Amino acid sequence: MPRISIPTAARLPSALRVEPSNPAVSKILSRLSRTSLVSVALDWLDDKNLPLAAPYLHQQANPDDSQDDDGLSDDDDFNPPARSLAALRELYGDLQTRKGSKREVLDRIIEGDWRHGLSLYQLAMADLQYLYDHPTSQKWSAYRIVALKTPSPDAADNDSHHPQEVDKESLTIPRFHPSTFLKSLQATVLPDVKAHYNFDRHKTLPLLLLRIFILDSPYNTNLAVKSSSGATSFDTSRTVYIAFPDASPFIYISKPQALSGSAPAGGGGTGESNSLRTLIVEGIPKALSRPRQRFTLKSTNLSTKNLEELLDKRGSARTNSAGGGWSIYADEKVKESPLDTVLPSPPLSDREEAPITKKPSPPSREDEEEQRTRKRMRLVAKARFGDSSLVDDSKGVERVDIILEDAFPSVASTTKRKRHQSGVEEEDNHHNDDRRRRTKTGGSGRKSNFEVALGDDELHGEEEAEEAGEGKWTPNVRLTFHGSHVFAGIRQLVERGIIDGERMPGWMTGEEGVTVGAVRNGRIRGHKGAGL
Amino acid sequence: MASPTTTTPTLDEEIETLQAQVSSLKKQIRIQTSTLIASPSTRQLFTDDFSLPEDTNPFRQKLVTQSAAQEAHNQQCLYRTCAGITTFRVRDPDPNAVEGRAVLGLRIEVVSRAKFLRPYYVLLNRPYPESRTRLRLHRHTVPPCIPLSGLATRHLPPPGRRQDLSRFARALRREIVRYHHRMGVVADLRKAAGLGRKKKKSSVGDGTQQQLLVDISPADAEAKQISIDWADGRTGRLVMSDDGEIVKLVALGEHGRDREAVRELLGGAVRVDDVTRRLAMG
Repeated sequence: MPRISIPTAARLPSALRVEPSNPAVSKILSRLSRTSLVSVALDWLDDKNLPLAAPYLHQQANPDDSQDDDGLSDDDDFNPPARSLAALRELYGDLQTRKGSKREVLDRIIEGDWRHGLSLYQLAMADLQYLYDHPTSQKWSAYRIVALKTPSPDAADNDSHHPQEVDKESLTIPRFHPSTFLKSLQATVLPDVKAHYNFDRHKTLPLLLLRIFILDSPYNTNLAVKSSSGATSFDTSRTVYIAFPDASPFIYISKPQALSGSAPAGGGGTGESNSLRTLIVEGIPKALSRPRQRFTLKSTNLSTKNLEELLDKRGSARTNSAGGGWSIYADEKVKESPLDTVLPSPPLSDREEAPITKKPSPPSREDEEEQRTRKRMRLVAKARFGDSSLVDDSKGVERVDIILEDAFPSVASTTKRKRHQSGVEEEDNHHNDDRRRRTKTGGSGRKSNFEVALGDDELHGEEEAEEAGEGKWTPNVRLTFHGSHVFAGIRQLVERGIIDGERMPGWMTGEEGVTVGAVRNGRIRGHKGAGL
Repeated sequence: MASPTTTTPTLDEEIETLQAQVSSLKKQIRIQTSTLIASPSTRQLFTDDFSLPEDTNPFRQKLVTQSAAQEAHNQQCLYRTCAGITTFRVRDPDPNAVEGRAVLGLRIEVVSRAKFLRPYYVLLNRPYPESRTRLRLHRHTVPPCIPLSGLATRHLPPPGRRQDLSRFARALRREIVRYHHRMGVVADLRKAAGLGRKKKKSSVGDGTQQQLLVDISPADAEAKQISIDWADGRTGRLVMSDDGEIVKLVALGEHGRDREAVRELLGGAVRVDDVTRRLAMG
């Protein structure tokens, strides 16, 4: 450790070691399962990573910074240091095959082989391992990288009222170079915040992950990670992940705190750690920009925990703005060569697949009629959803918020009730629990829960009678769909005839690719189809 | 014990080959039918027979409709093959969609490696009540590395400026085709440098010629930049213009820029194709 630490704007070095007694260390490590822990340890011992994750070995070859615990004699040491790397690798290989407790491995790491501290690089690896183990542990928001037009910085929503705002919208596609990006991102961060950056290629998805670990310290030496200040500054909420999908002008930023508000980088955060994150997030577009080529981030109203869904809707493939029923146009597996003169079967005729999926129904006494309606509903669902929103496609969003701004339907066959207070979901008898909770906040402080029946009429709400007299009364209706895979749930409801698939508005198929939206005239407003 | 283990696989294999045969025969039938049903002589047959008063044979009725459908399909295929951009009409499944749910589809054909790829689709609707003929991008399957939004704002602006659908379609197709050509150039470059797909070829390449380049890959979304890795650790970046000309090539060695390597690789080449040719020659 150097004698003097000077505040600098440099980033935290990856080799910086954190004392194993630091609560953050055990917190990060103990989140992992035993198998992941062992595999991470083996990764540390890999030749590639060794310079940044050197273990504590027996006497010779031990680095200088382990002087503080050399008073310990090996005899009363539970976890005696290994003689060589090979021995250590063997030991962990052994642990991998053997059964045992997680505690054992954890102790071995913290008190044994890395008693002189774990480098930030190691912690980053462990954290990423956690992300791989629990892919839905982070909530991601997708942002589009858009070229900035010079005069007006605030042309946020390109609604048709400002035709002159619609810039020439450069034909440039933002280009991303990791190390350059990191260098300029570093430059935008203030010197009183230290961050550790770690790039990693996602193991299965076409993503580059950047983990930013923010520390609130002016120093970039051991002082920053001393445990005296550590307890507070080592907070998992200060870890921000940024994911760069391959070949796609989008960027996904993780939201460590489960903030329900959708306001992203713009509004200053409430908490201190939040503002640190804001700082980083604001630095991202600057870091992406180059002289005479400025970019900014624009929220795309899609946030989910599911990276695969993000890659589907904001990725590099054809599926970005062909969701829902339009997905039949994006399916690359379909061969559609004009040289093939065989008459194609119409998209909805399930010539091949019908026997596989639903046929196993034994030739029971089911009415012909019912069979037919069942089939029809399935076809309707297929027409509306295409090949998307299947329960097992692992591309689900877990929450969708919709605000209805439409006027109250005047012709609605509404059963008016006074003070209807039930507000219970009743349609969640399906295993994919799609519960719909509707809350309505009236203008004059009245609050009532009510339910909307998505039945044979279009969305007609039961509402309080006294105000419904005027022609253009617009209740403030918010819908929140919740579930493990919201749109698959809606699809199932359509397939079972609970929702009328033909009259269902388009946004319920998820074809807009947003999780937050306002509906006007039955369509998601401002978000014009292709999201332009 | 030995007999079941030896017979079952053969039986399975037999079933498999038979099934493959069945499916290929079925395919044959379909192809033959499509050819037969649309052939002029067959159609002649149908029309001749129609002179009979109100044919009652349901099969013939079916055949006639199928023949008509087949002919329409053939014509569509012909247009698609020759024109590159074709249009079609779609009905928006969304009951709340604008303009009576009418959607205009553009189908953009792309040929890559002597094959038609799945076409790219652009679906347009008419959302402006004040000017009925104006189109706007509704859905599309164009990958994000094509600057579709920029093209749309240029050629299909909202009311106030003139829209030009055909220019839009042509410009878009040009971008898409260019993109695929650039990808093709990178693939050619890889092939010429003896880099097969994914490491498999590299050992073979070692035998015939000593491997100079170890990796060539597109470095950005648009495939305008190509990163090149030499065997000795030098790395380079080649910037390609829209149309495949070399804008710049920079190679970095251990001691900074390595102009020698650049000269060696380029040798006066103007286009990336020239480099491919040079590499292929050895």
